[in-house]
Amino acid sequence: MAYHSGYGVHGSKHRARAAPDPSPLFDDTSGGYSSQLGGYPAPGVDVAFNVNHLLGDPVANAAMAYGSSIASHGKDMVNKELHRFVSVNKLKYFFAVDTAYVAKKLGLLVFPYTHQNWEVQYSRDVPLSPRQDLNAPDLYIPTMAFITYVLLAGMALGIQKRFSPEVLGLCASTALVWMVIEVLALLLGLYLATVRSELSTFHLLAYSGYKYVGMILSVLTGLLFGSDGYYVALAWTSSALMYFIVRSLQTAALSPDSMGGPGSRQRVQLYLTLGAAAFQPLIIYWLTFHLVR
Amino acid sequence: MGTKTCHVKVRDANDEELGINFDHIWQKTLTVLNPMKPADGSIMNETDLTGPFLFSVALGASLLLAGKVQFGCVYGMSAIGCLGIHALLNLMSSAGVSYGCVASVLGYCLLPMVILSSCAVFCSLQGTLGTLTVLIFIGWCSLSASKIFISALDMEGQQLLIAYPCALLYGLFALLTVF
Repeated sequence: MAYHSGYGVHGSKHRARAAPDPSPLFDDTSGGYSSQLGGYPAPGVDVAFNVNHLLGDPVANAAMAYGSSIASHGKDMVNKELHRFVSVNKLKYFFAVDTAYVAKKLGLLVFPYTHQNWEVQYSRDVPLSPRQDLNAPDLYIPTMAFITYVLLAGMALGIQKRFSPEVLGLCASTALVWMVIEVLALLLGLYLATVRSELSTFHLLAYSGYKYVGMILSVLTGLLFGSDGYYVALAWTSSALMYFIVRSLQTAALSPDSMGGPGSRQRVQLYLTLGAAAFQPLIIYWLTFHLVR
Repeated sequence: MGTKTCHVKVRDANDEELGINFDHIWQKTLTVLNPMKPADGSIMNETDLTGPFLFSVALGASLLLAGKVQFGCVYGMSAIGCLGIHALLNLMSSAGVSYGCVASVLGYCLLPMVILSSCAVFCSLQGTLGTLTVLIFIGWCSLSASKIFISALDMEGQQLLIAYPCALLYGLFALLTVF
């Protein structure tokens, strides 16, 4: 019973339970566990009754207790590791969305030119959740768009008879790596420019994830209308996304107390925003052109 | 006299020990089969994996009948899909949800997929009509799943948002059925 050694607290309990196993047929089921160790069946009680209980109580209960202790131990470990890296409450803010918000945000991503007010609203220094404020970034759309992009890439490759699980995995990991590079570059830029802003890593992840919506639209148009449709959709979604990023990051990166700061800092922030925006069409093209031939 | 008492006792002990409540299983199956009927929030209180297990075995069996031996794919995809939707639901709802509950709901809503794959044994699903049927079945599965999740976790205004990832998951199953 080598597996007992790893769990000190539970080990002794299981060793006591496991002891009566060698002679289950002679268990006395009338009195419960205390009489198991030395009991003999009372005369006249049916053996059938005993057989049923031998299948039920000692072995199954011990196994179940052991299994549930493993499960809770594993769950605690996962929770601990997760909480070291990710604050779940902060993450929950980005997923507090509803259907109306998602619909309006998708419309905004495709046609941002008529939207007037781009500032994220606050209530007593706490930013409003995406349910209440259209300008707040969320992580639901980027996550779903990324998964849809991977599935759509699989379908596009399947249509072109170039599908294999390795190619799909390559597509997915390329997209993920480029997103990580972009977020790291933005973080580095924000740090070097000593911009004190409200933009956390999750904000940057959200803004850089919005490009997947544009990618999906381009690939769909390319699949339906051929190469010309792809380039038209690419141009449209790229310009819409660039406008969206510039307007959103402009108001987000400027924190309230840096309004009167030195002009060079504001210029650096502007260059950073423009650089992030200009990077989007390149990435969209790079990640989708091989899907539409 | 003694034998009769024993017989009755053994049956009761069996029911309680196995914990299978056939009435609840039937109620949940009816809820899945009728996507328009509003779901009762309390039916998901006990996590029961009997129905889902039966349905996955039935799905594997009907795929086998159609000549596709893909048990590993089915179980792998369902495990990863369950994990993903469990994470998403925990982030989106105010109350948490356990993994067993998610697996149970998703497994119950697999029933229309089983019906679809048994149809696929007799007639091929490729072509326009087949694609339309597949899309309708995917919509049916995901609407039922999202309806049960919404009522069990008390989330308003998010039914379509939950239905979309479920539709992606059931779409993967449908891909296995069609191709």
